[in-house]
Amino acid sequence: MTQDPRDSDLLGDPAEDQALPSTPALDEETPFATMMSSFDEAAHTVGVEPAEYQILRKCDREIAFSVPVRLDDGTMDVLDGFRVQHNAGLGPFIGPLRIASDIKIVELRALAAWMTWKCAVLNVPFGGAAGGLRFDAREHSSGELERAVRRYTANLLTDVGPERDVFMRDVGSDAQTMAWVLDTVSSHARVTENAAVTGKPIEIGGTQGHQDAVAQGLRVILRLAVDRFDLPHKGMKVIIQGAGTVGGNLARILSEDGYRVCGISDVHGAFYNPEGLDVNAIMDWRRERGSLLDCPGDFERLTNRELLTRPCEVLIPCATANAVHSKVAAEVQCKLIVEGAHGPVSSRADKVLKERGISVVPDILANGGGVVMSYFEWVQNRMGYSWIMPVIEKRLRRFMAEGWNSVMKTQQEYDVTMRQAASVLAVKRVSAADELRGIYA
Amino acid sequence: MSEGTKNQPANVSRDELNPFHSMAHQFGLAADLLELDEGTRDVLRQPDRELTVSMPVMMDDGTIEVFTGYRVQHNFSRGPCKGGIRFAPDVNLDEVRALAAWMTWKCSVVDIPFGGGKGGVICDPRNLSQGELERLTRRYTASIMDILGPDRDVPAPDMNTNEQTMAWIMDTYSMHVRRTTTAVVTGKPIAIGGSKGRREATGRGVMLVCREAMKKLGRSPEDTRVVVQGCGNVGGVGALLLHREGYKVVSVSDMYGALYNPDGLDMPAVMDHLRGSGRLEGYSSADYIENSEGQLELPCELLIPAATENQITSKNADRIQAELVVEGANGPTTPRGQEILDSRGVMVVPDILANAGGVTVSYFEWVQDRMGYFWTEEIVNSRLEQVMVRAFHSVADMAEKHNVNLRTGAYLVAIDRVARVYRMRGVFA
Repeated sequence: MTQDPRDSDLLGDPAEDQALPSTPALDEETPFATMMSSFDEAAHTVGVEPAEYQILRKCDREIAFSVPVRLDDGTMDVLDGFRVQHNAGLGPFIGPLRIASDIKIVELRALAAWMTWKCAVLNVPFGGAAGGLRFDAREHSSGELERAVRRYTANLLTDVGPERDVFMRDVGSDAQTMAWVLDTVSSHARVTENAAVTGKPIEIGGTQGHQDAVAQGLRVILRLAVDRFDLPHKGMKVIIQGAGTVGGNLARILSEDGYRVCGISDVHGAFYNPEGLDVNAIMDWRRERGSLLDCPGDFERLTNRELLTRPCEVLIPCATANAVHSKVAAEVQCKLIVEGAHGPVSSRADKVLKERGISVVPDILANGGGVVMSYFEWVQNRMGYSWIMPVIEKRLRRFMAEGWNSVMKTQQEYDVTMRQAASVLAVKRVSAADELRGIYA
Repeated sequence: MSEGTKNQPANVSRDELNPFHSMAHQFGLAADLLELDEGTRDVLRQPDRELTVSMPVMMDDGTIEVFTGYRVQHNFSRGPCKGGIRFAPDVNLDEVRALAAWMTWKCSVVDIPFGGGKGGVICDPRNLSQGELERLTRRYTASIMDILGPDRDVPAPDMNTNEQTMAWIMDTYSMHVRRTTTAVVTGKPIAIGGSKGRREATGRGVMLVCREAMKKLGRSPEDTRVVVQGCGNVGGVGALLLHREGYKVVSVSDMYGALYNPDGLDMPAVMDHLRGSGRLEGYSSADYIENSEGQLELPCELLIPAATENQITSKNADRIQAELVVEGANGPTTPRGQEILDSRGVMVVPDILANAGGVTVSYFEWVQDRMGYFWTEEIVNSRLEQVMVRAFHSVADMAEKHNVNLRTGAYLVAIDRVARVYRMRGVFA
């Protein structure tokens, strides 16, 4: 067995190491290979043809290009741009556009494949992609950023589009970025192509419910899990790590639903009260001050790591990759873990939890609300007709529940963990589509 | 459904047995009643476009074989063309042309926004390997690419083509245009943009028109004995659904014989038996009639010929006991057969209405592909119901207005819709 470097204690307390929630757990050296290794097992389990699996082990296409940008002082900078498209068997590509100074193509490969699996598990008709622009937005003006994004888009014009490759928001990109991409694509195409990007401002085709989509998806999964694992419906104790878009919204929603949110945290520390926290007061404080620091209230103040091992029924890590590493896993006092972040449970921790009989609802299922919502946005753009909030909520429930049911069915069929079942399901669906379409020419 | 010349009655003149002649006959009849001018008639009689392509294909043994294929687009006034692609050794341009026109009328009767098209490739699929079939399909797609597309012409499966064939077409087209284009073809596997409820759509449509027609005749399901010729996608599904609606299905048949139980068949059990053994023979709770020629003449109120063409002819129409005939197959009643049934007061729901459930759900598949959002089976079924019920009543109303049978009524509805749109759009350039 190869050692998982993510578990190394040299990293210190991983929760303090504030990676963004959308950063998957990746091996520093070969993230794609590491990520794919969990799918080797899945492919073996379902008996996918080795030849067919070959296709899934490589990205369909990788584009690397230079992005010259005129800076405000009249000089020119040449940036690096990438777009990696993993597999288009199930439909057009979809994936994040990441803008950061430390982008690596190996990382984008892993992200792209990750998107393929996620779309397959949630049954949205896309293949996975990921793009990056190596650019430090903090060092540049908004004008420089806009010119960089537009030039990046222009260099990808033959590859972007509603039926080709759809951009999503990610680290370093926001609704404004998506609006620039949309405008650049549309101006060149001479038609409005608002389905080419998701996470847009509502005024130009964005969807309602985008803001807390991941949290709403987690809520659906939690409800299904409560039934499946015979947990109490009322007053169930939940610990949430993270208080941002995912964790914060989820805490608010769950306390409204009557669950007892006993723990919450941000990068500065964690609060815990076994009788339940006053979530509204805490979130109000955070909204006003930007963090949980010095928030008053009736609770115990802990570190992030301590919070993870306090007693509760369900632990929902929504912050960083590898927050639950093998040592934490040996100490957690919960019945179920739901992965709100990407890869919050390390692979070694997975084994410890399995031995302890604690189930884990894997990220590619649990936090899929975001990509489902992106899909809804794309559908509404294609129709030119927007859905009202109740319709969106109902349809999100449908997709999350269907994903859950399919994973459960696969789990029973192959007698594996939920994470393995999700991987098996993903590989099965993608390879089935590839096989139906056959090899072209 | 399309078993070619098998099971065709002897002792009936060849002219009576050509379903395309009967279609032309119907067209003339309806055009007269609509008082269509000669110019519009000419436009509607002739296909808008016919394409013949020759396609070299590398065979498994390294030799090259050249195949011939056709795509005929009969009329695209009402929208892109829609129609199947058949692979058969005896396909010819005349047949493809007639089938394309048939599709125009069918799409128009149920009021879905398509014109009619049809394609064919001369080949014997039984003598081709899977690889050869794939290369042939891809080459055919590439050869007719210029006239294909979600807004141009949307093929579907037909004789000897299936979901896999459609997947290859979708893939070939998508690769050429550099974008995922699921809506270029219907009848795809669900994994790549197919619709739920499509496989049973034709049978469900048959059930729905039976229900509407029976309401019109004032007969309740419990008092209705049903005889179904066939037990595949159309007959079998139709019989099963009618049974579920409370009808008494007394007989179904396959190529080898018929089951008969005057007290009613337990259709779910019959279908289970059929799935298990591949044929009806051997099902215990009914009589088995070896040669089922007489099946159509069994005592019943509702007869559904859902197997092949030319089953009700001048030879047996006077012995049909049903008060309602619903044509699940294409062209099961000859014009002479129809005349006899008319004179005896038997109501006949014509094929272009009765079996249009299939193309209707194909339309739904195209809509879903364009949205990229997929309906649940319940939604597909309830929308199919809306379309079929509305279509049945517009045909029945038209027939009443002109005091003609439902077949002529259906052609009146269909031709009137196409002709109106044609005049509205005018002659281009």
